[in-house]
Amino acid sequence: MTETAADNKPKLKSDQMFINLGPQHPSTHGVLRIGLTIEGEIIVNAVPDVGYLHRGTEKLAEIRGYHHCVVLSDRWDYLNAMGNNMVFCMAAEKLMGVEVPERAQQLRVLMLELNRIASHLLFFGTYGIDIGAFTAFLHAFREREMVLDLFEMVCGARMTYNYIRLGGVMKELPKEWLDRCREFVPFFKKRLAEYDDLLSFNPIFLDRTKTVGAVGGKEALAWGWSGPNLRASGVPYDMRKFQPYSSYEKFDFEIPVGKDGSCWDRYYCRVREMHESLKIVEQVLGGLPEGPILGKGVAKVPKAPPGETYAAIEGARGDLGIHLVSDGNMSPYRLHVKAPSFINLQILQEMLVGQKISDVVAILGSIDIVLGEVDR
Amino acid sequence: MTTTTLDREALQAKFAEKFPEAETIGAPAEGSAPTELKGYLTVRFPDGERLLAALRWLKEDLGFAYLDMISAVDWKGPVDIDGYIRDPNPNVFLPDGATPQVQLPVANKTVAYRDAVELVYLLSHLDAKIKVCLKLDVPRDGGSAPSAIGVFKSADWQEREIFDLFGVAFLNHPNLSKILTPDFLKGHPLRKDYKHQKDRFDD
Amino acid sequence: MTDKPSESDKPDEAKKEEAPAAKPAPAKPPAKPPVKELPKPVFNEHPTHPAYQGRASRLLHANRMAPNRVWEDKWRLPRYRNGAIMLAGILGGLTVGAVLIDRFGMTVWMKLWNTLFAVLGRVAAAAGASADSVAAAKAFAETSPWIWSPLKVILVLHVILVAPIFLVWWERKISAHMQSRFGPMYVGWFHGVLQTVADGIKLLLKENIQPASADSWVHRLAPAVVCFPAILAFAPVSFGGDLIAADIDVSVVYIFAMAGISVVGIMMAGWGSGNKYSLLGGLRSAAQLVSYELPRGFAIMPVIMFAGSLSLVRIADAQSGTWFGFVPRWFIFYPVVGQLSFLIFLIASVAETNRTPFDIPEAESELVAGFHTEYSGMRFSLFFLAEYAYMLLACLLMSAFFFGGGNPPLPGLDFVPGWYWFLGKTMALVFLFMWFRWTFPRLRVDRVMDLCWKFLLPWSFANIAFAGLYLLF
Repeated sequence: MTETAADNKPKLKSDQMFINLGPQHPSTHGVLRIGLTIEGEIIVNAVPDVGYLHRGTEKLAEIRGYHHCVVLSDRWDYLNAMGNNMVFCMAAEKLMGVEVPERAQQLRVLMLELNRIASHLLFFGTYGIDIGAFTAFLHAFREREMVLDLFEMVCGARMTYNYIRLGGVMKELPKEWLDRCREFVPFFKKRLAEYDDLLSFNPIFLDRTKTVGAVGGKEALAWGWSGPNLRASGVPYDMRKFQPYSSYEKFDFEIPVGKDGSCWDRYYCRVREMHESLKIVEQVLGGLPEGPILGKGVAKVPKAPPGETYAAIEGARGDLGIHLVSDGNMSPYRLHVKAPSFINLQILQEMLVGQKISDVVAILGSIDIVLGEVDR
Repeated sequence: MTTTTLDREALQAKFAEKFPEAETIGAPAEGSAPTELKGYLTVRFPDGERLLAALRWLKEDLGFAYLDMISAVDWKGPVDIDGYIRDPNPNVFLPDGATPQVQLPVANKTVAYRDAVELVYLLSHLDAKIKVCLKLDVPRDGGSAPSAIGVFKSADWQEREIFDLFGVAFLNHPNLSKILTPDFLKGHPLRKDYKHQKDRFDD
Repeated sequence: MTDKPSESDKPDEAKKEEAPAAKPAPAKPPAKPPVKELPKPVFNEHPTHPAYQGRASRLLHANRMAPNRVWEDKWRLPRYRNGAIMLAGILGGLTVGAVLIDRFGMTVWMKLWNTLFAVLGRVAAAAGASADSVAAAKAFAETSPWIWSPLKVILVLHVILVAPIFLVWWERKISAHMQSRFGPMYVGWFHGVLQTVADGIKLLLKENIQPASADSWVHRLAPAVVCFPAILAFAPVSFGGDLIAADIDVSVVYIFAMAGISVVGIMMAGWGSGNKYSLLGGLRSAAQLVSYELPRGFAIMPVIMFAGSLSLVRIADAQSGTWFGFVPRWFIFYPVVGQLSFLIFLIASVAETNRTPFDIPEAESELVAGFHTEYSGMRFSLFFLAEYAYMLLACLLMSAFFFGGGNPPLPGLDFVPGWYWFLGKTMALVFLFMWFRWTFPRLRVDRVMDLCWKFLLPWSFANIAFAGLYLLF
């Protein structure tokens, strides 16, 4: 919550109206409030107001041990919880100098890509509902249930997994998990083709999304965008190719890059990313090495030597980073989360000006934010 | 403008040439502040103007088009337990007298705590696949730094967040106000000596 | 995790036991309350647990199967096969029932009627009245318009009151099956058929909230003003041979006029809610409805030109017979003109009834809430009653105008009564409406207007020109 709503609002002329979009609104993006000043149908001023979900995890982390911080990390971008776990563990492992065994690395890749698929499926469904196509949501969730069932089999949880731990992963895969995963892959490939038929190339959908929200590559970089948003604007920046981590360099996949950065490009980038993630999942399933799943050198109460580091992964929302500073205690000295949704959201104060109200939902949906990450 | 032959040594040489007063950090010396961002070239600047000039130089001349993050670290010392609402020992099922799971942090003698907030800027060069880290120490009370919003628009909310949580003012920022904490919260929570004031949501 | 508890408790207990033996025991520390056993959570239990034996949970758990296994070999699933057989059986049964009613219905009814009057005669004779008066009463009942007209009115009224019960249930089932779920299954004996009835009862029991800033009488009257013309518009629609409330010569014009009156009701709803968002929504909706009346009317012109009459009955009769012996003379089969008319009328009807892809007023995820936000209880459901009634009306009109309304598709199928074909075609078109709703995303408001004024209207004019050319040759 901020004091700027009163400061920043221009003096309302008599034909201008001030509307609050949120913090409760049906387009399920979390608790976000945007104060819109509109003149007729056109938006004159937009003030995004975040902080409704601020839980102070960065301060909490200064009092929790590293294993506890993994649990805290689940709750930042709760749709991509494996990614949060992963980036925190990467940062802590870098500081402590822990080697992650090969099998654990590939299991991490597997879980990360499945989580990316689940997160993009949810985006697909909710974006469909925002635009008005109700069926896409149900179809996406039918597939998402399968992915969540897989996660439940492996770690017992459907949303906050706490599966990727310091030094490796928590538990070995159950016996039938690999078979179930192998069943899922061809089934999902067919469904992806159906999604294109249902929504992606529907003329009404194209009309609604291709004409709005265009962001050029340079502007996107200036605003600090990352992830599918940036790639849709034409910049091929993907952390998995920029600085490959956790054996990503072994897998063969492309990064889909868009052309004009409109809402449709951002949407389609994510749909294509689901294809690529499925390719990676197939490759991992094809050759998962045997071995230990937890590296050596992680104590029950780990203490990192004094130092600081930065680790980044390609999360489902963008370039998720952790700046971790340690002073030798069992808790981090400072844990800063570079949250892509937080940075992606800033552009709204400039981008929404001049758009119609009906397009606000389309634009906001296409940026794909998760408030857990924005507010931490 | 963008050179793909940029690697850590070349960059270090360029910094030494352009900003001789900035201190390029390698491995931390014994007893000094552990300040290298592990794995990346770290440059510490003595004051804000030179940092801003370096940011501009990196973006326009060398092609570091992407600001990864602006972070801040309060180097006062271990965190004060009064800043927390609840008992940090998270396990309420342990019986009395058992060793708590969380040991409160204590000062480490090998770490140079100081009365400053350190700002950490991380920039990326997308073609050369290299990142560089710039650091600036800002005094804790009344410290200020120039805002990077003129160079990178993505510094906007990150600087607001640092102002909100640490109290570091950024000069020339168009809208420096609280962003994450509620309106009724006074003080800057991520400071190490922050004490929690009882508000209407505490029971 | 530490295993200190066992170690730290023992010394305490040992001390407690020693202390009373050593010296007279002081006040003992209060005994800790016994640790209550938490009840075992039911969700971990196997589905044969008694908590899972209810019908709803049986449905839920028996049908829970990974989607990929269902979709791969669905015909091997017994419940899938049984469902298909059941569907075929229902349709076949309805057809057979229709044929039988057509064949024997009148005779059975006449028998019952005469029996009734015979019984009445005997009762009257016992009471002392003459046989003539009974015969006169019978003749009066059979021919007098004072009896039949109110009866027809009540029948037409009940169409609009009963049809939404079925249509809402059908919509929920269709939407559910398109979204790979089941829809209402629990209420009612068979696949939740009484769900709408239950919802209606619930809505009747709700409090009719009226916002304080609302214009009270306007707010109260708006649902009635929307619903009343919807009922009236069904008057000239013929459901079969004689099942028509009012056989007017200008029924088409009458129907469109009634549909136009409802727009006033929507504006009243938007204004009367006292809420600027409802007002905006109401105005948008009214603009959309008024705009789309034009292509609708103009798309019908060729049909009227071909049929030479404005009466629905005559238009349906003009489509009887076949070309080449097997292609029915339906207006939709007329080259170019028929198809174009149908498409324009279809799109305009979907827009008129506020259905997706034109459902801006009802859209929950748009910013502006819509004209029916401030309504609760039965008043809210009256708006939706009117929407379903208009949808049914639009489909009835389409069947009458374009699909022959009552004429069978092949000449040999005359034994199945006309009203059965009429209702069948109507229901197929209703299915189409519902299919649109759950497949297409929503158009933006300005695109809706663009579509009407810049696309449908010019093409409807062109269509009239084509029809003129057709008639010329």
